[in-house]
Amino acid sequence: MTDATLLVAVLAVPLLAALLSLVLRPRWLYAVAAIFEAATLGIALTLITLAVQGPALDCFGHWLYLDGLSGVVLLVVAVVSSLASIYSIGYLRHELREGAVRADELRKYFVVLHLFFFTMIAVTVSGNLGMLWTAISATTLASAPLVDFYGSHPSLEAAWKFIVLTVTGSLVALFGFLLLYQSGVGALGNSYDFSIPVLARAAGHLSPVLAGAAFLLVLVGFGTKAGLAPMHTWLPDAHSQAPSPVCAMLSGAELNCALLGIFRVYTLAAPAAGAAPLRSGLLVFGLLSMAVGVIFLISQRDFKRLLAYSSVEQIGLISVGVGIGTPLALLGALFLIVAHGLTKCLMFFATGNLLLRFRTTAISEVRGVVQAMPWTATLLVGGALAIAGAPPFGVFIAEFSIIAGAVAGHLWVLAALIAGLLLVGFIAMVAPFHTMTFSRRADADAVVMGELNPLILAPALALLAAILVIGVWIPGPLDQLLHSGASVMGR
Amino acid sequence: MDLAAAVFSTLILLVGFWLLIARQIRAAVDGYAIQSILLGCLALALFAATRDPDLLALGILTIAIKGLAIPAVIERQAKTTYGKRELQYHVGFPTALLIGAGLTLIGFVAAARLPYHPALLAEPVLGVAIAVTLLGFFTAMARRDAVLQLAGLLVAENGVILVGLVVASGLGLLIEFAVFLDVLVGVAVMGFLIARMHETVSSTDTSELSRLRG
Repeated sequence: MTDATLLVAVLAVPLLAALLSLVLRPRWLYAVAAIFEAATLGIALTLITLAVQGPALDCFGHWLYLDGLSGVVLLVVAVVSSLASIYSIGYLRHELREGAVRADELRKYFVVLHLFFFTMIAVTVSGNLGMLWTAISATTLASAPLVDFYGSHPSLEAAWKFIVLTVTGSLVALFGFLLLYQSGVGALGNSYDFSIPVLARAAGHLSPVLAGAAFLLVLVGFGTKAGLAPMHTWLPDAHSQAPSPVCAMLSGAELNCALLGIFRVYTLAAPAAGAAPLRSGLLVFGLLSMAVGVIFLISQRDFKRLLAYSSVEQIGLISVGVGIGTPLALLGALFLIVAHGLTKCLMFFATGNLLLRFRTTAISEVRGVVQAMPWTATLLVGGALAIAGAPPFGVFIAEFSIIAGAVAGHLWVLAALIAGLLLVGFIAMVAPFHTMTFSRRADADAVVMGELNPLILAPALALLAAILVIGVWIPGPLDQLLHSGASVMGR
Repeated sequence: MDLAAAVFSTLILLVGFWLLIARQIRAAVDGYAIQSILLGCLALALFAATRDPDLLALGILTIAIKGLAIPAVIERQAKTTYGKRELQYHVGFPTALLIGAGLTLIGFVAAARLPYHPALLAEPVLGVAIAVTLLGFFTAMARRDAVLQLAGLLVAENGVILVGLVVASGLGLLIEFAVFLDVLVGVAVMGFLIARMHETVSSTDTSELSRLRG
C-alpha cells in the first residue's frame, strides 16, 4: 500500500470505530474497540517504519505529513490509546457489573473515546499548520466529556476548569500560529501554503521578530494544554477525575500532542529567530514545571493526583531537555516522551485496578495490596520505580541522557538542579506506593482478595515488559526513530 | 474601504466593552452575536473592495455560525439561566472599564510594534483585534457565571479571527472553516457542561466549583 492510503487509513479507522459504536448494538461495542484500535496501532507502526526508513511522508499537497518528530508522538499516542481501549473493556465491564456505570453510558464512552483517539492521530499526521492547531484544540473538546464521564460534582468541576483553561490556551496559540503565518509573508508572498515542509524550506527567511513572538505565544498557549507550570492548574483535577483508562490517555498521550505543537513551531521559528532565546523560554517553563511538580508530589494524599503532578514534572523535564538543545539532551527528551507516556499509562492502569477494588483514591486508605492483588502489586511497584526514574527502566535512560546532555553542554548548574529535583521527586513518588503495597492494614480481613479480570491486567503487564525492554536495550527501529526526530529538532 | 473598516472595527471594540460590563446573561450573548455579525460585515465589506471569494465565504460563515448558530446553541443549553443576572462579580464596573481601557492601550502599542506586511487592513485594525482578544480573556477571567465566561472566550476568539484577517488573509478558507467548526463543537461541549452545572448545583455560578485542591 502507498503512504497516502495508509495515512488516510490511520485517520479513517478510529473514525469508523466511532461511527460503528454509535449505530451497532451495545454488545458489539467491545469487539469494535478491540479490533479497530488494534488495526489503528498496526497501521500507525507501519507508517512510522516507512517515515523512518525514507524521507518524511508527505501527501495530498502537504495536508498529511509524518516525519521523525511527529513519528515519536504517533508511536506513543497509538500504543497508549490502543492499550487503553483494551483496558477500558475490562474496566467498564466491571463498573457495569458494580452498577457504577449505566449500560446506555457505555455507548457514549466508546464513541467519544474513538473520537478522542482520532483527534490525537490527526495531530500527529497534520502537515498543514492550521490543521495542526485545529487538531490539537479538538483533543480538548473530545476529552472533556470523558473527564466528566462519572457525572459527579468534582468531575464537572474538573471538566469545566480543563476546558476553560485549555481553550484559552488554544486561542493564545492560534494568535501565535497567525503570527507565524505572517512571518513567512515576506519570503513566500501574501498567500502561501501554510504547511510544515513549505515553511521549513523558508525557515531561514522568516521575519525574526514575528517568528520569535509566534513561538512565545505557542509556548504559553499550548504549554497550558501540555501542563507546563504556572498554567498547569487544571491538570491534576482533570487527570484525577476521569476514568482510569482516560487518565492514561490524557497523561500518556494527549500532553505529548500539545508538546508536538510547541516543538514543531520551535523547529520552524528557530532558524530565523535564533535557537538560544527560544531554548531559554523552554528552560524557564520546564524548570518551573519540574519544581512545581516535585513540590506537590511531596505530601500528596491522593494517588491519582500524585500521578498527575508527576506528569507536570516529566513534561517539564522534556521541555528542559529540548531547551538544553545538545544532541544527547534532544535524544533524551524524545526518548522521555515515549518512556514517560508508556510508564504513566502503566501507572494509571495499575492504580485503576486498585480503584476498582478499594473504591478510593486516598493513599491512606489503601494498604496490603501485595496480599490482596499480587499481580497489581507487581505492576505498582515496578511502575512506581520506573516513573520515579530507577534503573533499569526507560525513564531512567531518558533522564540520564538529558542530564548527560546538560553536562556535555557545560551547563553544570542546570545538570545539578535537574538531578536534585529528580532525586526529591523519586522519594516522593516511591514512598507512598511502597506503603500502599507492603503495609498490612489493621482490618486485613475486610479486603476482598483477588484480581478482578485479566483484561485489566494484560495491557499493564505488556507495558511493564515494554518499559523494561527499552530500559536495557533500545530496538533498532526505535533508535532510528529517535535519531530521525532529533535531527528534525536540531536542524 | 478604509472608512468601512474603521466603522466596523470601532463598533467591534465597543461591543467588547459592552460585554465587559453587561450583567444580564441574555444581553451578553446578544452582544456576542452582534459583534460576530459586525465581524462578518467587515469581511463582506472587504469582499466588496477586493472581490476575493474567500472573504465572501468567510463573511457568510461568520454571520451564520457565530452570529446565529452559536448564540442559538447557548440559548438552548443554558435556557434555565438565560434570563438571569449575574448577582455577584469579582470586578466592579469602574475597575472593569479602567482595566479594559488599559488592555486596549496595550493592544494598540503591541500592534504598532509588530513588523508586518499590511495586505487588506491597516495597523489600527490590528490594534482593535489585539484589544478585543485581551478584553475577551479579561471578561472570561473576571466573571463568575459560566455562560459569561464562555461569552468572554468567544469574544477573544472574535478578536483572534480579526487578527487573522489583518495578518493572515491568505491563509485559505478550509483552515478558517476548520477553526469555526472547532469553535462550534467547543460551544456545544461547554454548553453541555453548563447544563450539567445547572443540574448539579442549580446555578451557573462557577464559584460553586471549588472543591478540588492540592
